[in-house]
Amino acid sequence: MAITEAHAGRRYPPCDPYQVSAAKIAEFATALGDDNPRYRGYSPIAPPTFAAVVSAHAWDQLFGDPELELSVDRVVHADQRYTFLRPLRAGDVVIATLVIDKVRMRQDSELVSATVDISDRDAEPVCTAQATFLHAHEVPA
Amino acid sequence: MKATVVEGVEIGTQLPSLAVRFTRERLVRYAGAATDFNPIHYSEHFARRVGLPGVIAHGMLTMGTALRVVTNWVGDPSRVTSYFVRFTRPVVVPDDADGVEVQFNASVAAIEGSLVTVSIEATCGGQKVLGVARAEVDLGMRVPHLDHES
Repeated sequence: MAITEAHAGRRYPPCDPYQVSAAKIAEFATALGDDNPRYRGYSPIAPPTFAAVVSAHAWDQLFGDPELELSVDRVVHADQRYTFLRPLRAGDVVIATLVIDKVRMRQDSELVSATVDISDRDAEPVCTAQATFLHAHEVPA
Repeated sequence: MKATVVEGVEIGTQLPSLAVRFTRERLVRYAGAATDFNPIHYSEHFARRVGLPGVIAHGMLTMGTALRVVTNWVGDPSRVTSYFVRFTRPVVVPDDADGVEVQFNASVAAIEGSLVTVSIEATCGGQKVLGVARAEVDLGMRVPHLDHES
């Protein structure tokens, strides 16, 4: 059975803890071409969109859910919203949890909205990542 | 990095713009850094097989790069409280030394207390690649040199 509106509300188990490292922050900032000094040194914070690195693990759960029959090859990232309560910092151990908010069925595709909550080891929220994915039924010719 | 205080900010204030070249090297770097290894971001044959005109940049690379306009301006990235982007057009990155240039312009769209909403426009080859890009930053309460706190 493929994805339907009824999958709204489906919540996945929390992902394995992710440890934010200074090296990964520097690597990510360099990939963005960003030389902001806050991303370097002994106690860097992460660029805001570093949250994508953490939420990607939760997305894997969504796209890997056999019941939904989603094919990553046919998924387009339509929009992305982040709400930051505080920056991610080197040394943080954070856990991502994904819930499907809404599924909209269209003739040749589905629009899937999902929220990833990222919280720290004390269960304090750090960031929320809300995404909408367009899942096309067929690859265009 | 330039310090900004709320007093000097009004609706319509332009932020310093940014032009960034996306090359295949940058895409590979971003793929590794973000652990996003979708082959549409490095394999021409795969990208074409799924109906794309060629290898395209990660939407999140465009989103992350666009935010540099805002974080360069405020100095302290932890002042960003929210960020929303709608991806409308892929950025096709050719396999050559020059890649493709993406231009980012931004201006203040709204102010509510110390919360400032910045609207960012991202264009490539004269066409908008992000339908909407809005970041909200908390500039704090009229404290000069706010960028230098840690």
